[in-house]
Formats: sequence, structure tokens, C-alpha cells
Amino acid sequence: MNERFELPAELNIYSALDTRDALLAWIAEHGPKGHEYLEISARDVAEIDGAGLQLVASLSNMEQAWRLIEPSDAFTDACRTLGLLNWIDGRSGKAAHSGAV
Amino acid sequence: MSNDADLDFIAQAMPAFISEAAEQIEAIETLLLELEEQPDNRELLDSLFRCAHTVKGSAGIFGLNRVVEFTHHVETLLDKMRDGDIALTPDISTLLLQCNDQIKFLVDTAADESADTAEQKDLRADLVVRLRALTDGNAQPVQAAPAAVKQAAGGADAGPQVWTISARFGPETFRNGMDPLSIARYLGSLGTVVRIKCGIDTVPPLVNLNPESCYLSFLMELETSSSREDIEGAFSFVMDDCELDVVAPETHGQKLVRAIEEMPETPRLGDMLVSVGAVSQDKLKEVLSTQQQTRGMPVVEKAKIGDLLETQAGVPPEAVAAALGKQQKLREGTPSEERYIRVQADRLDAVINLLGELVIAGAGATLLARESHQVALIEANLHMNSLIEEIRNGTLGLRMVPVGETFSRFRRVVRDTASSLGKEVNFEIVGGDAELDKSMVEKIADPLMHLVRNSLDHGLEPPQERINAGKPAAGKLVLSARHETGAILIRIEDDGRGINRERVLQRAWNRGLVEQGVVPPDDDINMLIFEPGFSTAEQVTNLSGRGVGMDVVRRNIEALRGTIRLNSNPGKGLQVDIRLPLTLAIIDGFLVGVGKSKFVLPLESVVEVIESGGDNVKVDSHGRHCVELRGAVLPVVRLRTLYTVESSLPDRVSIVVVSSLRGKFGIEVEVLLGQNQTVIKPLGRLFRTLRGISGSSILGSGEVALILDVTSLADLATGALHGFSAAQTPVTAAVSTALSS
Repeated sequence: MNERFELPAELNIYSALDTRDALLAWIAEHGPKGHEYLEISARDVAEIDGAGLQLVASLSNMEQAWRLIEPSDAFTDACRTLGLLNWIDGRSGKAAHSGAV
Repeated sequence: MSNDADLDFIAQAMPAFISEAAEQIEAIETLLLELEEQPDNRELLDSLFRCAHTVKGSAGIFGLNRVVEFTHHVETLLDKMRDGDIALTPDISTLLLQCNDQIKFLVDTAADESADTAEQKDLRADLVVRLRALTDGNAQPVQAAPAAVKQAAGGADAGPQVWTISARFGPETFRNGMDPLSIARYLGSLGTVVRIKCGIDTVPPLVNLNPESCYLSFLMELETSSSREDIEGAFSFVMDDCELDVVAPETHGQKLVRAIEEMPETPRLGDMLVSVGAVSQDKLKEVLSTQQQTRGMPVVEKAKIGDLLETQAGVPPEAVAAALGKQQKLREGTPSEERYIRVQADRLDAVINLLGELVIAGAGATLLARESHQVALIEANLHMNSLIEEIRNGTLGLRMVPVGETFSRFRRVVRDTASSLGKEVNFEIVGGDAELDKSMVEKIADPLMHLVRNSLDHGLEPPQERINAGKPAAGKLVLSARHETGAILIRIEDDGRGINRERVLQRAWNRGLVEQGVVPPDDDINMLIFEPGFSTAEQVTNLSGRGVGMDVVRRNIEALRGTIRLNSNPGKGLQVDIRLPLTLAIIDGFLVGVGKSKFVLPLESVVEVIESGGDNVKVDSHGRHCVELRGAVLPVVRLRTLYTVESSLPDRVSIVVVSSLRGKFGIEVEVLLGQNQTVIKPLGRLFRTLRGISGSSILGSGEVALILDVTSLADLATGALHGFSAAQTPVTAAVSTALSS
């Protein structure tokens, strides 16, 4: 389970600070070494707001390549509302890279 | 020193400025009149504004402060109209026309301060007061208000419309308990989200991210019947901390697109968008720095500036597309607009004169080459001649201008004349793009003006009289132009009362133009209005104030080798047809010989050539006779007899069948010499009275050929000129019958 980061069920403004710190710690530990991609799982995400989405989006503006695993319905729905479906599609496919949308 | 140089430059460039400004002023007038008819035409309004702006701008360069000051007020009003604050009413239109007159006056008298009399100053001050009353009275303290009002008015019955909503949320948004996601959801519930793009490129990398600050922005296209207030309501709690731009359906993007199209050539995408106001300089910098971050990545991954501008700066995609398109055009080096060079008319005339000489010299060379019987030389000459012909056509083409420019000047005249006469008229211009030699266009303007005024004054009835006659209250006046076998036909058509033949005849009898009691054919009665001495003094002052009578109109048109014909339908209207040759300088001719004399016929009038039995045919003293052509009687005029050319008549002669306004007729000649380019030279004063000849030409051999005027020759052939009282010979009687059948 260490190989992927599980986003919390409540991915919102209330958990944002904690989630960011946890993510940064996890990245520092697992980093890109030995892994082609950082794998971020959104399967547990049941509640999400703009702040939560922004947190995940900020990953895209980092050096490390990452990809999104198993986005939950709530996560997908939020992305659809903000027109970010293409973006998560780009993250979840095999060819996903970091970089601009 | 440099100051002197500046002054020199200004003095030199001044005439060009004045002529350009005159064109702009003319354009303003035309646009205003068009705008009266289609007040919602945005393009017209924009062009109008541009014209005024150009006049103001270039007047500024020349330090013509009076023009700049005055035009500025006009520009302000036009700007308000563009913003939709002020709608064009007939009053405003009249005011603007008057202002345009004033601008024209100021430009015309630019070099002469003394021309600006106290009277003109008062007039100008009055105009400024009226302009300001309009612009100040409508000034809106809140800029968004008029747009909202306009939208509400337009949106009420228009059903769902696509709004472009661009929102950039402030950093405090999340902390204030607000969420862009829920706002987007709420907006989605108002209608259908056509498109949404969320700007996440501005979100800092995770390491630098303050997760409680908001960095998001989105650009949404929402199709909804909701009002602007409803849409803005969704943002009511974030208003203080959010850059919101709700753009009325389409307009913003379209406006930007147009602005980009009209821009001078600025190569960089960002610069273009900044200068049309699609994005601020600061935002552009921001976006550019974001793009910088993606440097060094593979090309496919690199963020495109256009995309970034769309998502982050909320630039409408069509504006980006237009800017990209413009960039592409510039790269391809294709000029986006047609280019013009201003050339002095006399330089062009000099070239055309030389060309005439070249044509003659070329013909001489061809003749010599033929005589030498050297095939190579003949071929070289033929090639040269075909090139000369192309140059001839091309050069004459340079002088061609659309008659529409002259026509559109009449709009104002018609408008003003009709209103001063208390008449209503719908004025139409058809075929304004037909081209005519520039010098002809200038010379035809006055006669046309006279005829147009004549139609308004005498042709069209006052509204009440029209209604009584079962016609619509507003009269119709159509000015049209089209090409017709080497000539241009200009027609002035009205649906007025036509020519009252009885009154015309009565007046002609009274004035001794026609023998008392003699009743000529209808068409001839109509043409009497062009006879010298027919117009009364009262008419002259009424109509033109130039002292030009209808006889002068006809003389001017005939001086251009043109003809004028009337087609009157009493009670229904009058149609005046003016036919003019396309150019005055060179025509394609058909060379014929009679004895030792050479004559040229305009090639386009020649229909066919038949053989005839020479001296066996009896002719009258004017050389007229008839032949049978495929069962019809063809009147023929014998040049040898008409011009008493000394020659012995051969057994067989040729008859060139030509078509004229009066129908077909034949010209009997002895030798056919073929086609040639004919440079028209005017006839000397002595020969002006010669009937049937319109000019002369010098042939390659140095001989002089006379150019036959088909129309007046037709008159000679049919005997129509011999008037209404002269007894007609049996032959001419037969000819007349043949023609009228």
C-alpha cells in the first residue's frame, strides 16, 4: 500500500492542510526513485470541494510525474463540473506525464 | 533647420491630406445615409467612427486644431452610439450630416484662416452645443448599467443565450467559506454549460501551496435564459474578492475579433490581445511567466500561450483564434487589405497619351514589316502588337473607377432636395460598381445631378397627389449603371408623372421650336425638353442654381460621345437612359475605305458585312437607299455620296451592317481594311459641324481616318433629323417605316 497515496474520504478545505503535509511527506519518502510515476488514488474520496481539487491540481505543477488511480464518482463529478475531465483522463492513462494541461 | 524641414514636409503633404480627408468626409456622408436605412448595422457604425477618427488623427498631424477640436465632439457622439448609449434618430443623423459639412468646410479652408467667418464660427459653436447636449445628457455614471439594460432588452424575447462568464477567485475565497466548485454547480443549474475551462496552471506546486488559499479561476460558457443579475447573483458572496466578467452573448468575443482584424500589423499574440483590451498587460506578464515554467519540456507538453490566455486570463477563444489567424497571415506575408497607390491624374494622362503614340507607331511598324515580306519580322511585330494591346487595356483600366462613388454623392442631394420640396422618396442605387473612365465620371456628375433633381422636382408628385393617383406616398427614384457592348448605360428612373407631352408640345409651339400645328412623333416630343430655349428661366433657378438647362445636359453628354434617350410613360414615370463610351482615348475600330478616304467604325457596333450591287442602286441626295436583308428592309447610307468622296464606284460594294440605338442600318463602303486599334483625336474646330463624324485617328501609315459616329449616322440614314415639317422623300419614308417596324 505504500506505493500509492490514498487521498482521504473528505478531501476539502478542512482537511486540506493535513492532506498537503501528508502528501509532501509521502512524496519525499517514495519520490520518483524506483517509480516511474507517483500513484495517487482517489477511490476513497466521497466529499470534495474546490480546495481539495486545487490540492490535487497543484501536483500537476510539480516536477514529479504522477498519475491518478481509481477516481471515485464524487471526484470525477467534481472534475466534470469544473471542466477538468480531460485533465484527469490525462492523469489516469498510461501516457500520463506531469506538465501543463 | 529641422523645423523648416518639417514645414516643408507639411506643405508638400497637405494636398494629399486634403484629398484624403475629402474622401473620408464623402465616406462619412455615405455611411450616415446608409446607416439611416439600417440603423442596427454595427459595421457601418464602426466604419463611420473610423472615418471620423482618421480625419481627426491626420488633421492633428498637420496641426489643424480647428478640425481636431470639432471632429473630437463628433467622435464622442459616435463613440456613445457605438456603446449603444445613443440610438441614431433622424435628428441625430441630420445633425451629423451638418457636422460633416462643417468638417468639410474646415478641411477645405485649412490653409486659410480668414475663410472661417464669424458666421461659420457661430454655426460651429451651435453644432458643438447640440453635440454636447446629446453626449453629456446620456453620460452614465455606472458603466455596466447601459450594457445590462441593453442585454435585458435584448434578452427578454431572445430565449436562451450563451453568456461567457470569466471568474478569477481571490485567495480568501475558501477561508470565507465559499467554493468555486459549488458556484460552478449552481451556474450549471441555471442552464446548460456549453463549455467550462478551469485555470489550474496558476496553482503553485504542492511544496509552495497554501491549501487554504484559492488560486482557481474558470471560464464558462453558459446557455441560459437567466438575466445578467441572476448570473451575477451566483457570485454575490465572493464579489468583493473575485474578478468577475460576465459578457453578454457573443458580443465581447466578436468585438475583440473585429478589433484584432482591424489592427495594424503587430506580430506578437500577447501584444495584439493587450492592445485590443482582451487582456491586461499585467495578466499577460503573469501568463507569460507561467509559460516560462514549462520551458525545456518537449514541444507537445509546452503550454501554449494561446491556451494559457484562454484559461487564465479569460480571453475569449475566438479572440485568440482571430489573433492567431492574423499572425498566420502576417507570416505568410499576404496583405490583409487591398493596397492603393495614389497617382497624379496628369501623370496617368501623359502615359495614356504616349500609349496612343505607341499604338500608332506600332501600326506603322506592322505595315512596314508586312511590306518587307519577312516572316520573322512580321511575327515579331504581331507579338509586339498583342503586347501593346494588353498594355493599352491595362493602362486604360487604371483610369477606370466605379461610378458608384459619384452616385452615392446623390444620396444627400436627393435627401435634401426631397425634404425641401416636401416630397418623400426612396432612392436606390443599382450597379454602382460598374466602371467608367475617371474623366468621364467627373464630367458626367453634373448632368446626372441635373437629371436627378429634375426627376425630383418635375417627375415625382407630392405625397397627396401620389396617393390620389393610386401610388404609394413615397416616390421611387432609381439610379442604375451597367455595361452594354462597349458602353455604359446609366439610367435614371422615377415613378412620377412622366412627361406631359401636350404641355411640352404647347410650349414648343409657343417658342417656335416646332412649327405651329405640326405634331411630331411621341419620342420626338419628349426630346424637345432638351432643345435650347425650351427650359424657362423659372425652371433653371428652381432646379440647379447653376443656370444649367436641359439643353446643356444633352450637350455635355454628347460631348462625351454619349447619347441620351427618354422613355416616358405618362402618369407612370420617366426613364432617362444615358449611354456613354467606356473611354475617351482608344477604341477597337473597323477600318473601311471609300475611294482614297479611310473611315473607322467602332468595332462593337459592327454586326456583319454583306455585298451589294454598287452603282445599280439608286440613292437620294443624302446617299440613302434600302436593301433587303433576310427578308427585312435595311436602310443604307452611302458614304461616297454623303461626304462627296471622289472615286469611281466599283461594280460590287460592301455594306457594313451596324447596330445603333435606332436599330440596324447599313453603311455602304468600297474597301474593307479590317480591325485596328484606334486612337481617338478630336476633330478640328472646322469639322465639328460635320454630321456623322465623331473624331479622327492617325493610321500606322500616317494617313488620317475619320471615325464614324454610328448614332448620328443612323439619324442621317433614317432622315429623322430633317424634322417634323420637312416633306420626306419616298425612300426615307420607306426607311422610317422599316426602322419603326
